[in-house]
Amino acid sequence: MVASSDHATSRADWVQAALERYEQPLIRYAARFTGDLERAREVVQDTFMKLCAADRGKVEARLAPWLYTVCRNRALDVRDKEGRMKPLPAYSQDAIASKGAGPREMASLGEAQQAVTKILAALPEDQQEAFYLKYRDQLTYREIGGVMGKSLGTVSQLIGAALGTVREQLMAGGHLGQEG
Amino acid sequence: MTKLLTQEKLTAYLLDELDDLQRRAVEDALEEDAEARQTLAELEAASQLVMDVFGTQPEVSLTETQRREIHESARGTSREAPPAPSPRPQGTNRGTWAAVAAFVLVLGGGVLLVNIFGTSGGDLLDAGPRAEEVRVADATFREEAREKIDRQLKEQQDRIRTDTESLDGVVDGFEGVTPAEDAMPETDEAEDLIASHTGTDELHPTSYNGRRSSARERALERRRGKSTPQDRSPGTESYSRIAENTFRYPTTDPLSTFSIDVDTASYANIRRFVRSDQLPPRNAVRIEEMVNYFSYDYPQPRGYDPFATHVEIAGCPWNSDHRLARIGIQGRDMAPSRRPPTNLVFLLDVSGSMSADNKLPLLKQAMKLLLLELDERDRVSIVVYASDTGLVLPPTPCNESATIFAALDGLEAKGRTNGGSGIRQAYDTAAEAFIEGGVNRVILATDGDFNVGITDRRALTHLIKQKADGDIFLTILGFGIGNLKDATMEQLADEGNGNYAYIDTLNEAQKVLVDELTATLVTIAKDVKIQVEFNPAQVQAYRLIGYENRILAARDFNDDSKDAGEIGAGHSVTALYEIVPAGTTGPIPGVDPLKYQQSPDAPPSLELSPASWNGELMTVKLRYKQPTGTTSRRLSFPVTDDGDSYACASADFKFAASVAAFGMLLRDSPYKGTSSYDGVLELAEEGIGGDRFGYREEFIEVVEKARSLSSRSRR
Repeated sequence: MVASSDHATSRADWVQAALERYEQPLIRYAARFTGDLERAREVVQDTFMKLCAADRGKVEARLAPWLYTVCRNRALDVRDKEGRMKPLPAYSQDAIASKGAGPREMASLGEAQQAVTKILAALPEDQQEAFYLKYRDQLTYREIGGVMGKSLGTVSQLIGAALGTVREQLMAGGHLGQEG
Repeated sequence: MTKLLTQEKLTAYLLDELDDLQRRAVEDALEEDAEARQTLAELEAASQLVMDVFGTQPEVSLTETQRREIHESARGTSREAPPAPSPRPQGTNRGTWAAVAAFVLVLGGGVLLVNIFGTSGGDLLDAGPRAEEVRVADATFREEAREKIDRQLKEQQDRIRTDTESLDGVVDGFEGVTPAEDAMPETDEAEDLIASHTGTDELHPTSYNGRRSSARERALERRRGKSTPQDRSPGTESYSRIAENTFRYPTTDPLSTFSIDVDTASYANIRRFVRSDQLPPRNAVRIEEMVNYFSYDYPQPRGYDPFATHVEIAGCPWNSDHRLARIGIQGRDMAPSRRPPTNLVFLLDVSGSMSADNKLPLLKQAMKLLLLELDERDRVSIVVYASDTGLVLPPTPCNESATIFAALDGLEAKGRTNGGSGIRQAYDTAAEAFIEGGVNRVILATDGDFNVGITDRRALTHLIKQKADGDIFLTILGFGIGNLKDATMEQLADEGNGNYAYIDTLNEAQKVLVDELTATLVTIAKDVKIQVEFNPAQVQAYRLIGYENRILAARDFNDDSKDAGEIGAGHSVTALYEIVPAGTTGPIPGVDPLKYQQSPDAPPSLELSPASWNGELMTVKLRYKQPTGTTSRRLSFPVTDDGDSYACASADFKFAASVAAFGMLLRDSPYKGTSSYDGVLELAEEGIGGDRFGYREEFIEVVEKARSLSSRSRR
C-alpha cells in the first residue's frame, strides 16, 4: 500500500525535523544537570531514541514539552546514578560557553552582555532553569510548568523575578543607562 | 506603579504570555502609568541583552554517529516496511550495509552497534541499506539534473552571446529614432560584461556555480525572449485602478495605518513591459512592490521579536522642502539547514494558453530549480487543472527526484481553464500531507484568471482565507503575458497569507525560488500591521508612497480579526513617507488652498499633548502574530528627525528613493515633484551599494530604457 511508505517516511522526517530543531537547545538543557557535554549528548540521544518509539499521535501536539520532560528526567537519572549530585552553581552554561567560545566570540560580547552572563549565572537554580527554558528554548509558561512540574503562577513568578533581577542589576551597573 | 503592573506582570506582557483580557488591562494601565512604562522599557532592554547573550552561544551538536543512529531508528520503528523503490541485486545490498556497519563501528565503537541491533532488530537490516540506496541514487540523479539545467542556462548564455551581434543591428536600427546616448552605452557595456563574464569570475560575484549570469546578461536574455510581436500587445491583461495616497494632515488624520506587503510582482512585470519597448500601464505600477523587489542592508533582529525595525529620515530628493522617511522591517534570516520541513503542493495551470515557451516549459524548469533546493525532509505533490483536474503526483519525498521530475516532464498544456475545483483538490492534498510545525503551502502557477464566475470568485476567496486560517498558505507565481489577471492573483495571494511573484525567465525563478527560497516559503510572522502616529508639532502633512491597496482603518490596527500581510524569513519590507515639516510655506502637491478656513499650514489650533513638544517626529507602531498564533504583539518606536540632508543618507535610502521616484514617473504621479529620469538614474547610481545579485544594476538599465521610451513617446 502506498500509505505505508508515506507513513514510514513521514515518521523519519518528523523525527529528523525535531532533531534539527531541538538538538542544540536540548544538549544545553541536559548539560545543566549532567555538568558536561559528553553525558548531555548521550542523554539527548536517548531522548530522541525514545521519540522514535513514541506514539506520534500523542506526542506530536506537545512535542517541545515532551522532549524537555523526557530529557530532564533522563538527565536527572544520569546525574543521580553517577553520583553527580554536587549542585552546579554558576553553572555549566558558562562553562560550556567559555569552553567552546573562542576569544572572538567572547570579544563580540559587549560589556553589558558580559554583565548579563554574570547575573544569570548567579540566579537561583529554579529561576535559571525556567528563565532559560523561556528565553533560549522559547517554551511557553504553560509548557515550562509541565516540564518542571510547577504551576503556571510559579513559573510566572520565577521568570518575572529573574528578569527583574537582570534589569535591576543592569541598572545598578549602569548598563541600561542609554537605552532606558 | 499601580498594583496591577508588577515586574512579574510586565515580564509576562513582554513575553506575550498574557491572554487577551489581561493584555488589554495591562495596556490600559500602562497608558496612565509613566513609571511602569519606564520599567517596561528597561525590562525590554534587559530582555534584549539576554537574547544577545544567547545568540552568541557556540554551537553544540550530537556526533554524526549519534544522529545516524537516531535516524535509522526513526526509519526502523515503522511497523509497515516501505516497499522497495526498485529491485536490487543482493550483493550490492550487503556491501552497502557492511560499509554502514563498519562506519558505525569505527566512529562509535561496538556499544553503539549492539545498541542498533538491540533496539530495532531485523527491521533495520532491511530499512538501513534501502534508505542509503535511495539517497545515493537520488544524489546521482540530482547531479545529472543540475548539470542539465546548468547546460540549459549556458546554452541560453551562448545564445545571448550570438545575439549580441544581432542586437547591435537592432540597436543600430533604433539609432535613427532614439538619441544615441541612450542606445550605445547599453550595447557596449553589455559586450564588456559578457566578455568579462567568460574571463574572471571574481569580478562577478553573481556567477557562482556557473549557474548565475549577470543581471545584464539576464536582461539581454529577456530582451531576446520578449521581442515577439504578440508580446507587445497587452492583450486581455487587467489591473486594478490605483488611486494614489494624498497628503494628509496630522491635525485631522494623525494615524496612518497599513498592512505590510512583500509582493514583488509589479516590478518584474514593469521590467517586462520596458523590455518589450513599452511603458507599462499606470495601474500596473505598484510602487511598494517595486521598492520591495530589492533587498536592503537592514541589520538582523537581535531580540525576541522575529523582525527588527529601522527608520531613516533625510531630505526628500524630489522636493527640497520636504523630508523622506524610510521605515524598514527586516525579518530574521534562517539558515537553509534550519529550514523547517516543507509540504508543497504545486497547483499547475495546464490549459491550452500555457503552451507558450515562457509559460509551461519555463514553469517546469522553475519547479525543477526549486526541487533541487529541497531534500528528504520535504514533500511535494502536483495537482493540475485545465478542463479536468487531477492529482498527477501524490505527496512524494523530495529525495525521490526522478519520480517528481518525470511527473513534471509528463505535463502537457491543453484544454480550458477551470481553477476552482483544482484549488480545492490542492488544498485537500496539502491537508493530507500536513506537516505539524512545518511549512505547508500551495504553490499556484498560472498565466491567467480562473474561469469562474463572480459568486464562485467570492467562494474561492473564502476558501483560500479559511485554509490560511488552518495554516496552509498560498504562493502565486504568475507566468507569461497577455492574459495576466494581476488583480485577481494579488488579491488571492493576500487572502491566503501568501505572496505573489511574477516569473518571466529562469533567472527570475532563480531569484524567487532559490536565492529567496526560505523567504518565499517560511513565514516568520503574519498579520503584520504598521501604524504611524505623526506629531502635529513637527509635521504639517505626510504622504505614504504606495501601499494603496493595503491601507487599513486606524481601528483595524488593534483588531486581531483583521488580516494583514506576512513576512518571510530574511525578507525585508520598506515603506516611504514624504513628510512636509511644520512651518513649511510652499504649496502642498494636489491640495488647493482652503477658502473657508485657515490653510493647514497655519499653526495647529487643536490641543496638543505635552508629549508633542518632545521633539519626536512620529511614533512607528507595529503589530504582528506568530505564524500560527492568534493574538498579536505590539511594538512601538518613537522617531526623531535629526535633520540629515539627503547627501548624508545611506546608499540604501537613496536607492529606495530612486525606485519610488521611478514609480511616480511611470505613473505620471501628481506627487512626482522635480523627479526626472536623469534624477532617478543619478540617485540609483549613488545608491547602488554592494548589489550582491546585480539587481540594482539591472534596475539602472530598466530606467535607461524607460527614459528612451518616454522621450520617444513624447516626440
